[in-house]
Amino acid sequence: MLNPVLTIAIPLGLSFLSVILKKKRGWVLLAAACANVVMLFFLEKGEVVIGGFRAPFGINLILDAYALAGMAVAGTLFLAAVLVSRDKAERFSTVLLAALAGINGMLLTGDLFNLFVFMEITAISAYLLSSAGKKPEHSFNYLVLGSVGSVFYLLGLILLYSMTGTLNMAEMSRLAGSMEPAALAVPVFLIFTGIAVEAKLIPAGGWVRGVLGNSDSLTGALFASVYSGAALFVFGRIFADVLLSEGAVQIVLILLGLLTFAFGEAAAFRQTSIRRILLYSSIGQSGLAAMLFATGLIFPAVLVIISNSVSKFVMFTTAGKITEIHGTDDYRELGGLFRGNRLIGTAFTISALSLTGIPLLFGFYAKLNVLAAYFNGRNYFLPAVILILAMVEGAYFIRLLIRLWTPGKEGEEPDAGAATKGTGLFKPVGAAVVFILSMAILAAGLLPDHAGEFISSDGGLPGGDAPSINLSLTKGGQ
Amino acid sequence: MSIAVFLAILIILAAASFFVTAANKKAGGFATVAVSLFALAMVLSMKGSVGGEQSFMYLGFSITTVGWYFSVVMLTAYSMTSFFNPFWMKKMIYPAGYNFLYLVSMAGTIGMFFAGDFITLFIFWETVVWSSAFIIQQGKSRKASYVYYVLSAVGSMATLFAIMLAYSVSGTFVIRDAFTGLAGSPGTALVVFLAFILSGLSKMGIFPFHVWLPEAHGSAPHTFSPVLSGGLVKMGAFIAFLSVTAFPAYEIFGDMLKIMGIPAPIYFLMLLGALSIIIGTLMAIKQEDAKRLLAYSSVANGGYILIGILMLDQVGFAGGMMHLMNHALASAAAFLAIAAVAYRTGTTKMSEMGGMIHRMPVTYLVYLISIISMAGIPPMGGFVSKWLVFQGLADKGLLFIAAAAFFGSIGSFMYVFRPLSAVFLGQLFTRDKDVREVGFFMMFPMVVLTLLTLAAGVFPNIILRVVTEIQKSAGIEPVTLARNTIVTTNGFLDAFRVFIVFGFGFAIAFVLFIVRRKSRKVGLMDTYTSAEFIHTPELLHYSHSFYAPFERLYDKAPDTMNMYKKISAGIAELGGLVEAVFYGGKPAKTIFWIMAAGMVFFLAGGVFR
Repeated sequence: MLNPVLTIAIPLGLSFLSVILKKKRGWVLLAAACANVVMLFFLEKGEVVIGGFRAPFGINLILDAYALAGMAVAGTLFLAAVLVSRDKAERFSTVLLAALAGINGMLLTGDLFNLFVFMEITAISAYLLSSAGKKPEHSFNYLVLGSVGSVFYLLGLILLYSMTGTLNMAEMSRLAGSMEPAALAVPVFLIFTGIAVEAKLIPAGGWVRGVLGNSDSLTGALFASVYSGAALFVFGRIFADVLLSEGAVQIVLILLGLLTFAFGEAAAFRQTSIRRILLYSSIGQSGLAAMLFATGLIFPAVLVIISNSVSKFVMFTTAGKITEIHGTDDYRELGGLFRGNRLIGTAFTISALSLTGIPLLFGFYAKLNVLAAYFNGRNYFLPAVILILAMVEGAYFIRLLIRLWTPGKEGEEPDAGAATKGTGLFKPVGAAVVFILSMAILAAGLLPDHAGEFISSDGGLPGGDAPSINLSLTKGGQ
Repeated sequence: MSIAVFLAILIILAAASFFVTAANKKAGGFATVAVSLFALAMVLSMKGSVGGEQSFMYLGFSITTVGWYFSVVMLTAYSMTSFFNPFWMKKMIYPAGYNFLYLVSMAGTIGMFFAGDFITLFIFWETVVWSSAFIIQQGKSRKASYVYYVLSAVGSMATLFAIMLAYSVSGTFVIRDAFTGLAGSPGTALVVFLAFILSGLSKMGIFPFHVWLPEAHGSAPHTFSPVLSGGLVKMGAFIAFLSVTAFPAYEIFGDMLKIMGIPAPIYFLMLLGALSIIIGTLMAIKQEDAKRLLAYSSVANGGYILIGILMLDQVGFAGGMMHLMNHALASAAAFLAIAAVAYRTGTTKMSEMGGMIHRMPVTYLVYLISIISMAGIPPMGGFVSKWLVFQGLADKGLLFIAAAAFFGSIGSFMYVFRPLSAVFLGQLFTRDKDVREVGFFMMFPMVVLTLLTLAAGVFPNIILRVVTEIQKSAGIEPVTLARNTIVTTNGFLDAFRVFIVFGFGFAIAFVLFIVRRKSRKVGLMDTYTSAEFIHTPELLHYSHSFYAPFERLYDKAPDTMNMYKKISAGIAELGGLVEAVFYGGKPAKTIFWIMAAGMVFFLAGGVFR
């Protein structure tokens, strides 16, 4: 069994090494990304004490099912992103390796200040990556908001430290639980803001349109799937495990998630650029996950994050490639694009349908769990809102899919000659990765209970959260 | 064979048809014929195994008579329509995808009708929705597919909400148990009832969801419109059936306000059905396109089916259940006839055709008989079922609904005969003088459907016997059937005797037709126009703006589509506002909103605790 600290130390070490090995840095990156995924299978569950001081005095890492789920999603998609766009990733080898270390650290750490450090490492690499979009203005905006977020987070941490005298998560959770909820309002706000910048939540997600709207196949996938997924896992760790809020503060947190969800979906509905549709849809899904975490529903939230991250990975890489090859991502000008790229078209379609919650795809299992969790808690308003927004989501995705598949003027039979020319959006490796991921969505959707058990395996998630619904118990024919 | 294995085989065969089509288009088309006929034969042979419960992984199935009946209706539409597929493959942009989705959606409908629990029901329901949405876009319109999908989604989401709500109260997804568990809480039951039936309403094209039918039926590939109208619309009837039988609606709402003896929620739905009859009829009268016209007639017929099923009584219910079979047969045949004409002429606009009877006499007969059935004229099936619905309405004294039903019946004369006279009768266009009748392979399904329509009208008890079994399983008194008569409180109907009378009348008319001197045929352009030359035959077509004076009575009526357009524009507007306010790209703005959120948190912590 391997020590989880290796998942941080190895990428970080290789990051420095890659500066020296200028020629071979692409290979170093690939090796690190592969090793990271392989290591996940052999990691030792439990607590790791760093430096010999036991928590709450020292710094510790905690590998539970929750952290492992986060690392599995982020690590797998990181590897996939590197595989799909190797030429682009090579230029950013050092940055990406540091980011990988940072992401693993964010997910593993059991210490709030340590979390801040890892978040900064990740954020700085994200700023650098965003500059690949050749739009310095957007990177600058991102940098400003990211810095504001960090300062807020740090400020919140200081307040918490002065109130409880500890930075250890488990200890903080214990002490904060006995504190007056109202006293937590301000630190909760400050820490919320710090994470909301990365998690793309309203009100702090102002940078997203600029950065993701100009993303390429590498940065789009990284920002929408890897970074955003990891940030949401951190959000869940803090607001559903460490700082459990209640009363009015909890309602505000839920409302902010709900607003992000509703506003994101509404904004996505009016877009014609594929990347913008996707980025607003990502914002919406982040809002949903945040809303679930704030309600204390961890398992459904994890499903939403996984479902969204994998789907968005497929779709953002495809959208990025489309932009690189065709010079535009306005779907009105790309009629019948998938006619020449049927395999990728199928992968894109499966991902989009999964996001809208079509049965037999993983997104349906996620949606069913979300609904069941709320209904079990006798909450009927939020599911109704979720379903209405799912309708909006279905509408804009089906419009996009129809256009990308079928060329020709409205009111006439489809015209194969009018299809957007060009085949081979991806190189073979990239196409294989994208297609395998979409097949994974299908497979996990066909065997949802296995997927659910896999995710909540070994000791379960914080708070003992388990699947809200077991599909094998729903059938009638017994 | 268990249902799960059967469905798995169908999915595998669907995938196989994909690869066959990729290799040879025409062979792929024939593959769909073979597979859908196989499915029909399998389901027909399942009649004996009714009553079993099966499960496979997380899917639960329950073999019921009603599921069997619906499957037979559906597979008749699918298998008969599939005979057209091989000839249309060259016009499809994705022939392999079309065949695959055609068979997947077919398998989906079977799975849905035999579902034992709501999750299974929902899974197959959605499978049918997306697979058919991807077929429709291969027709004339992309917008049609979008409208279809969104309105279906409205229904699906409402139904999912109802399913989960029922589950949260009664703790099970098993169809009957989940609903009967609601008996203790009528308030929740009302929400579940109205939300659950919504998907049925939207699928059947009940007002205000009817807007997708003219779009989708009118623009879908010609080989899929018959399935949509003859088959998929009936999925909505299945949901309506579950809403009043599995869901004990009359018992749970028994203590509620009653309107004319019917609990208010059910009466409200009947009114929607009545509105659909009126709107469908009036809109059908207006149409210039034969397929859109038939689509609106499906709206009206959906109204009859819904009203019949909701009555849940001895006679009207039987009428509704039988009408869905009759309408499936007739509308599939009518759409196929129009498709056959379109195959030869390339158009479905009525004013661009005429005199097809001289070139396609069999297609003419098929169309004639199916519209006679749709209008409810003896001796066709549609007459019997409408007669039963009217009997039921009269029995219960449901005055307003009956008025709408009669209006629709009379109005249907106005619209169904229009394509008949415009497309088939009248003068032949010069450019159509070389048109031939379609080949045997396309003629075969049309003739079979026509004969079935006639058989349903002459021997209605064959279908009604199945319906009585359904009535028994639903716990209501079955309709009284004598040897070949249907007995109700107001009288009886001997369909065979009606057939003899009509046959006799037909024979006399036929003799007169033979004996009488032949009329002189005049060419379409052979006309006097006071020194003006007319070169476009369409302008001389007498069916152009046929009912203009009548249409003027209601041409200012609001269009339901505008409502949806407004909602859509509203969402887009909200999206624009959100973009400008939160994602404008100015960090200062974002920081302003962060501070505003801070104020809210501060207040939440201090003031509202």
